[in-house]
Amino acid sequence: MEFLSQAVLLFKKDLLLELRRRESLLTMFFFGTLLLFVFHFSFDLAPDRIAEMAPALLWLAFLFTGTLGLAQLFEGERANHCLEALLLSPMDRGAFFVAKTCFNLVLMVLVEIVIIPLFWILFNLPNWELVPDLFLVTLLGTVGFCVLGTLFAAVTLKARARELLLPLILFPLMVPVILATIRCMEAILRNGELGDALPWLRLLVGFDVIFLTVGVLIFDWVIEF
Amino acid sequence: MAKISQISGKRNGYFGALALVSILLGLYWGLVQAPPDAYQGEVQRIMYLHIPSILTAYLSFFLVFVGSCLYLWKREKRDDILAYSAAEIGVLFTALTIIEGSIWGKPTWGVWWTWDARLTLTAILLLIFAGYLMLRSLTEEENRGASSAAVLGIIGFLDIPLIHMSVYWWRTLHQPPSILRPDKAPWENIAWPLLTPLLLNLAAFLLLYFYLLSLRFRLGEVNEEIKALKLSRDF
Amino acid sequence: MGAWYFVFLAYGIVWSAILIYWLTLKRRLARAETELAELCASSEPQANAKT
Repeated sequence: MEFLSQAVLLFKKDLLLELRRRESLLTMFFFGTLLLFVFHFSFDLAPDRIAEMAPALLWLAFLFTGTLGLAQLFEGERANHCLEALLLSPMDRGAFFVAKTCFNLVLMVLVEIVIIPLFWILFNLPNWELVPDLFLVTLLGTVGFCVLGTLFAAVTLKARARELLLPLILFPLMVPVILATIRCMEAILRNGELGDALPWLRLLVGFDVIFLTVGVLIFDWVIEF
Repeated sequence: MAKISQISGKRNGYFGALALVSILLGLYWGLVQAPPDAYQGEVQRIMYLHIPSILTAYLSFFLVFVGSCLYLWKREKRDDILAYSAAEIGVLFTALTIIEGSIWGKPTWGVWWTWDARLTLTAILLLIFAGYLMLRSLTEEENRGASSAAVLGIIGFLDIPLIHMSVYWWRTLHQPPSILRPDKAPWENIAWPLLTPLLLNLAAFLLLYFYLLSLRFRLGEVNEEIKALKLSRDF
Repeated sequence: MGAWYFVFLAYGIVWSAILIYWLTLKRRLARAETELAELCASSEPQANAKT
């Protein structure tokens, strides 16, 4: 399909650029790790309480790290009138949206793959076998974050105080994702499986599907010169 | 063109007077005529403000959504003005709803703030509205600001049911049973003598809302005319 | 009397805020309409001069 091939092309371009210079990835890694240290100094965490607070702390770290990544998301298109060139080409803008969202998703997933185990090590958490399940839930939450984040990163592209405005707009809209992901993670840590938290998972998936669809449809009107 | 504004100005004046009459009626009925609630006492009278406020705030949000959709679809300035006006007045009513809810909460639950579902939801709504207004004022080009805000208006409105669900689930699943009915909507328990002042005040708020909206809308239209005139003169 | 204090507090804040908003709105509108009238008046002799 034309749409998919365009999206894949743009995604590959971004990925290639990032792998060459690794700007976003390194800053996000570093920032995420730094946050873990800050948490350790800020919260006096007894070992049993850490397991309760782990999902929340992790998600705080991901939210802030992700915001950092979003700020740099369209940087590549700013120079040399790249954005205008892309928009003038006969490309489906929805494909542009999908490509950028997937790229942001990959960045965040790479960061999460490092941060979650690091958190487990730094805070001496026991149940390592639950980490893959936790990671899956985090993945779903990250999709929601990337979808809305990419959309509003494009919306605020030409606004003043862009770096402040984006989180201000984004975070209230992210409440369902934050609540759902953390509740699911808590359930997994407490019971080893989702159990009662299944409705939360459904909400999360619903959120992802709805806003991915809306994003693709609405992106035409979002990105302009 | 200025004459059109004058004509609708007079009609607006009558409408405003009607709104004022219904407000005074609602005030009288709510504060004097209606009996105090058997359980909550006099404090229940705050509900005659709180419920109309929140309903008006939701209506406002809906109008922002409609205006945003129409604007992105047809690009007519009037729809954008509608969205902007509804957002501005919506912020006012949402903020008032929070204040009313907080004041009602102090004698009822003993605290000025609690993270119960209703207050939390209204606070999030306020944040989204405020984000809308900030996005508009911080975006440099006028048309860009309008379409950016329209996107936020649409996404925000679509998100509201999801936020609603998640906050309610969060609060009802973790609420200890000692706190008495914090999540039951007050209108579920309303008795007949209390319904009349509620409906009266609701009508008053709606009339007031549309009166304020029409004023704000006219302000938007006049500003647009000024801009158009200034542009044509520069040529 | 304690309960009435809260009632009056709520009603007072709400109606004062609405009153203030209404007054500022009227003022903004009046200012905009005078500006519009001035613009219309000053552009008419220009239009006449061009024709």
